[in-house]
Amino acid sequence: MSELRIMVNGRVRTASVPPETTLLALLREHFGLTGAKLGCDVGDCGACTVIVDGHAVNACLVLAAQADGREVVTIEGLAPADPLHPIQQAFETHASLQCGFCGPGVILSAKALLDGNPDPTTAEIRDALAGNLCRCTGYTKMIEAVRVAAQALRGDRDTGAAAASPPAWSEA
Amino acid sequence: MSEKRTAAEKETLREILPEVGTEHRLPATPPPAQYSIETLVPEVRQQTPAVGQRATRLDARLHGLGQTKYIDDLAFPGMLHAKIKRAGVASARIVCIDTRAAEAVPGVMAVLTGREIPVNSFGPSIQDQPVLADERVFHAGDGVAAVAAVTEQIATEALERIVVEYEPLSAVFDPIDAMKEDAPRVHPPAGNVYAHKVIRKGDVERGFAESDRVFEGRYATQMVEHVPIEPHAAIAQWDSNGRLTVHSTLGRITLGRTDLARTLKLPVNRVQVVGTIVGGNFGGKNEISQEPVLALLARKAGRPVKGVYTRREEFVASTTRHPIVMDYKTGVRRDGRILARKVRLVLDGGAYCSWSETTLGKACILSAGPYKIEHLHAEAFAVYTNKTVTGAMRGFGAPQVCFAYESHMDEIAAALGIDPLEIRLLNAFDEGSSSPTGQTLESVVVKASLLKAAQRFGWREPRS
Amino acid sequence: MKRRGSGIGCMWYPIGFTVSANPSAATVKVNEDGTATLLTGTVETGQGSLTVLGQIAAEALGVATEDVHVVSADTDATPMDTGAIASRTTYVTGNAVKLAGEKARSILFEAAAPMLGVKPDQLEARDRKIQVKGFPQRSVPMGDVARHALVVKGEPPIGTASFNPPTVAMDPETGQGKPFSTYVYATQIAEVDVDDETGEVEVLRIVAAHDCGTPINPMLVEGQVEGGIAMGIGFALQEEILFDAAGRQINPNLTNYIIPTSLDMPEIEVDIVPSYDPTGPFGAKGVGEPTSVPTAAAIANAIYDAVGVRVTSLPMTAEKVLAAIRAKRARLGVKGDG
Repeated sequence: MSELRIMVNGRVRTASVPPETTLLALLREHFGLTGAKLGCDVGDCGACTVIVDGHAVNACLVLAAQADGREVVTIEGLAPADPLHPIQQAFETHASLQCGFCGPGVILSAKALLDGNPDPTTAEIRDALAGNLCRCTGYTKMIEAVRVAAQALRGDRDTGAAAASPPAWSEA
Repeated sequence: MSEKRTAAEKETLREILPEVGTEHRLPATPPPAQYSIETLVPEVRQQTPAVGQRATRLDARLHGLGQTKYIDDLAFPGMLHAKIKRAGVASARIVCIDTRAAEAVPGVMAVLTGREIPVNSFGPSIQDQPVLADERVFHAGDGVAAVAAVTEQIATEALERIVVEYEPLSAVFDPIDAMKEDAPRVHPPAGNVYAHKVIRKGDVERGFAESDRVFEGRYATQMVEHVPIEPHAAIAQWDSNGRLTVHSTLGRITLGRTDLARTLKLPVNRVQVVGTIVGGNFGGKNEISQEPVLALLARKAGRPVKGVYTRREEFVASTTRHPIVMDYKTGVRRDGRILARKVRLVLDGGAYCSWSETTLGKACILSAGPYKIEHLHAEAFAVYTNKTVTGAMRGFGAPQVCFAYESHMDEIAAALGIDPLEIRLLNAFDEGSSSPTGQTLESVVVKASLLKAAQRFGWREPRS
Repeated sequence: MKRRGSGIGCMWYPIGFTVSANPSAATVKVNEDGTATLLTGTVETGQGSLTVLGQIAAEALGVATEDVHVVSADTDATPMDTGAIASRTTYVTGNAVKLAGEKARSILFEAAAPMLGVKPDQLEARDRKIQVKGFPQRSVPMGDVARHALVVKGEPPIGTASFNPPTVAMDPETGQGKPFSTYVYATQIAEVDVDDETGEVEVLRIVAAHDCGTPINPMLVEGQVEGGIAMGIGFALQEEILFDAAGRQINPNLTNYIIPTSLDMPEIEVDIVPSYDPTGPFGAKGVGEPTSVPTAAAIANAIYDAVGVRVTSLPMTAEKVLAAIRAKRARLGVKGDG
């Protein structure tokens, strides 16, 4: 059994699991964090994307033991307080998600991008989402929403405004 | 079930259960504290009138927060996990199935084979598909047995212990070959052509005779799959009144309830089918698949049973889009006006009928294209082959025939030296035109769509 | 080198089949404050049907989208539905929802009529009020009417209705008849670059003009067009299930069965072509499937425009396109043309 101590969404969580347990199984089955999804279990679809130590990874390809001692951010940890994270807000106003199954993975890939690159080009956004398969949306409204969210995050940073109330979002 | 286990087996189970966790699939710790989200309602959802608004979706917020519950996110106390063994051979007689080794695997709570299914056939039009293959296998993705166990891993391993002896039979894979007299019969004694449709209007031969030029072409499309990002999933459980509740990714729950009642020989009011939201359907989740299997495993084991397709099963065991071979013959005047069209469609109908009859009908009706054609003969065949079941997939034959009739149209335009936009405007339906089936068409806007797209695109404007 | 081309794909698609019965039923319940609940047996599969049906119910009741809570997908609690298939949900289920809303509304009109001193048929429901037609200043808030109906008159404003496009048999010999209630039309124009040394096709831009009748929610219509085009691109260029000689799939996984990613998507411009179908709810028809129908054709025709070769089977992989280019060069070489 692997004895694990992982920081998940800002809280230390512990678990004792068989060594072959993937990070995806740990999150979904042991921690009840079902936002990360099982789409293929072999790293092809990206529905299980989470952020480990700042990097967007396929949780189905990471052993739970490999995440020991690391910081993991799942979709549940994205909006710790009012209001929604700007990426989530933009996805909502732009109807970027349809069935929503790929959504948590896409949003976290976008977050990992914007955390490192606050002013990405459209090509860089496409690249960041390239590992997340979506069958419903054609990605178009997702890319637009990430652009808008990046703008809002830059705006908040520039003005030093705390995100105490939601920015006024323009319609698509 | 558990009463039948020996003391030694119970001891073995006690050794395993702590490892896998008796509360497996339920959170070991409480979920994170619910943060308070101000119920900010986007202004657009407060506006009247409601029709025409770019209203945000009612599920958008939960999607973005990862709080939307899909079937695989649900868990019930004592829930087991099921896996289905796939045949791996395209055409065979099942000589025998030995499940004893699988039943003996610690953690396995129930095993099921086809002969235990009360009514082992279903299908939206022809009921030629078994819930689990019993005597015959008709394609490599046919399910032949199923296991429910305390973990998915144990269930998957137990499948390996099921021994199936097959007697290979002849098979046919190409639909045009399958139409020949001497082709192996997929579902003997019936022939391989299981659905046929003809649409006749006017007199095609006269139309060709009156044409200035006649063009012929053959077009073909491939087998593709829906690839919903969410695999098929379902959970079956019974209450002590013998009432079955199935949570499922089924898109058509009314039909699903009917099929479950029929295959399990239950009154309809003893069956409840519940959906949450389907993570992508596109036509592939419209008929029952594993639900009756899970229900019977749950009844045997006395516990809820969940089944989730692997991505491999999504490809081999769920339905696909019909490959179609399409032969077009069109007679035109030299100005590009279509006088006559003859179409022959051969649909690869897969191992079972599924939605082929509906697809055939739609493809046949749509095959002439949105064009005014006085003389028309369209004929379509659906043919059994020993390959993956072809069923409903977004468009029901339309994407295939559109590829054919629009490619064909451009070939005609090029040969006559006519602009592709002009030839379409010349032939397209008007308000009140007669369709291939003689229906008077209303709210017709083909030409408007052509002109709008051409204007926005800048069709044939000189490139800067 | 890369050669650019453009091509047209034009299509028609049916909405609401009539060759056999395909009913949908719905129930609308108005609460004591004028908000409402809609019960529908349809299942949301991502296309946004529940949002659209909620908008239709809201329109029928004269309230806002947010005022209608939608409950779905339970065979015990929600009325039957033939299913979200054949692009029929907005049209067939939408009509059932509209009729159910109007039935609930008629109970509200009966309750409001004496409050406003008029007959029920002189009333209309708009902007969260019941008001007299032609005299909008004579009105009562929806909540007041609903409360009155429930606790004073004792008549809960609940409406249940079903809709089925009238079934018409087809002639078995000639296939003539009226197989569908209505149709939608669309054109997509694709612009591609074809690399004439590798056969690779890059889709740069697609302009899509789609008819859906009245667009109940234009943002969701755009989403369907963009998603449909993505599926169409996969169908045109990438996807194929391959079988070995024994009839077993060779590529049953997402590593070797290629579907479009964010990198494969072109610029997409969507126009909704104005039309109004009086048989649909508020003039609406449907849009779910038509969006993926003409894409492969438009791309095939664009490839021909770019490099003068006609690929007649899908998918139009780089190998096929290159082989066609080489075959054409060989033909021209043999003829002695440059």
